[in-house]
Amino acid sequence: MASISDIALVTQVAVFHNKQAFDQLVRKYQSPVRRFFLNQTLGDEQLSDDLAQETFIKAYMNISKFRGMSSFSTWLMRIAYNVYYDDLRARKQTYDIEDSSAVRQSANTGDSNIKMDIHAAMALLKPDERTCITLQLIDGYPIDQISKITGIAENTVKSHLKRGKDKMANYLKENGYGG
Amino acid sequence: MEDKNDILLKQFFEEAAKQTIEDNGFTERVMMNLPETDMAESRVRRLSHLWTLFCLVIGLVVFWLTSGWPIIEGAISGGKQMLINAIEVFLITAPTTEISINPWVVVLLLGFVLVFLPYQTIRKLSATL
Repeated sequence: MASISDIALVTQVAVFHNKQAFDQLVRKYQSPVRRFFLNQTLGDEQLSDDLAQETFIKAYMNISKFRGMSSFSTWLMRIAYNVYYDDLRARKQTYDIEDSSAVRQSANTGDSNIKMDIHAAMALLKPDERTCITLQLIDGYPIDQISKITGIAENTVKSHLKRGKDKMANYLKENGYGG
Repeated sequence: MEDKNDILLKQFFEEAAKQTIEDNGFTERVMMNLPETDMAESRVRRLSHLWTLFCLVIGLVVFWLTSGWPIIEGAISGGKQMLINAIEVFLITAPTTEISINPWVVVLLLGFVLVFLPYQTIRKLSATL
């Protein structure tokens, strides 16, 4: 369920069009939303910020549809997930993101070694696996919440997590972690 | 029970999970790019209220000019008479009319009303979170 302060802020935005209240919501949730996109885009900061901005604008436009049956963060992450997959589909028409050297290059600039390794390991995963892995291991969502955010059945989420974790664990072992 | 892979991954992602991204003007950029729906919406709402008021006034004037009350009274009393007639016909014909009802049809209809409709409502609500 949504927390009371979030519901109060959402009500302020939806009923009174209070932009100050929406400003508070953006400040509160900008970090997890941008971090989610940063991990999905393998460290492309510019693209992450553009997608995060689009997410918040969509949330503002559709805030009256938020029913409070889940937390505001889950609702927001669902919008973020849809925004990411819309963008992924649009860009797949021109080139395959998995083989994009531009994305990998941007992932390798200005980051610490651990971030480089995370993005390199993430690059091994399929988009759905990457989304499930980041939502569980970085954002800390349980499987039922991941299922709600992504609209993927819980058993499929479990399969994505299993495959993703196996791939990442092999990569880490090959690169000297856990030894 | 957690296996070695889970422990390894948890350790690996520990730092990333703690990472907080500084705002650095992001919120201001979002707020600047929000669509200006307020003014447009309030204008549409105001126009809608004016249109409703206009229609109401026109309706009252037409009602007054055409002496509308007897028409409404006639319609109500006519409707009442039709309802009474329908009940009378039903009461007269019902005991002599045999309608065979298939119990499976009743079960299916009950199933639809008691199971399918609430299921659809819950599905729609959960889809909007």
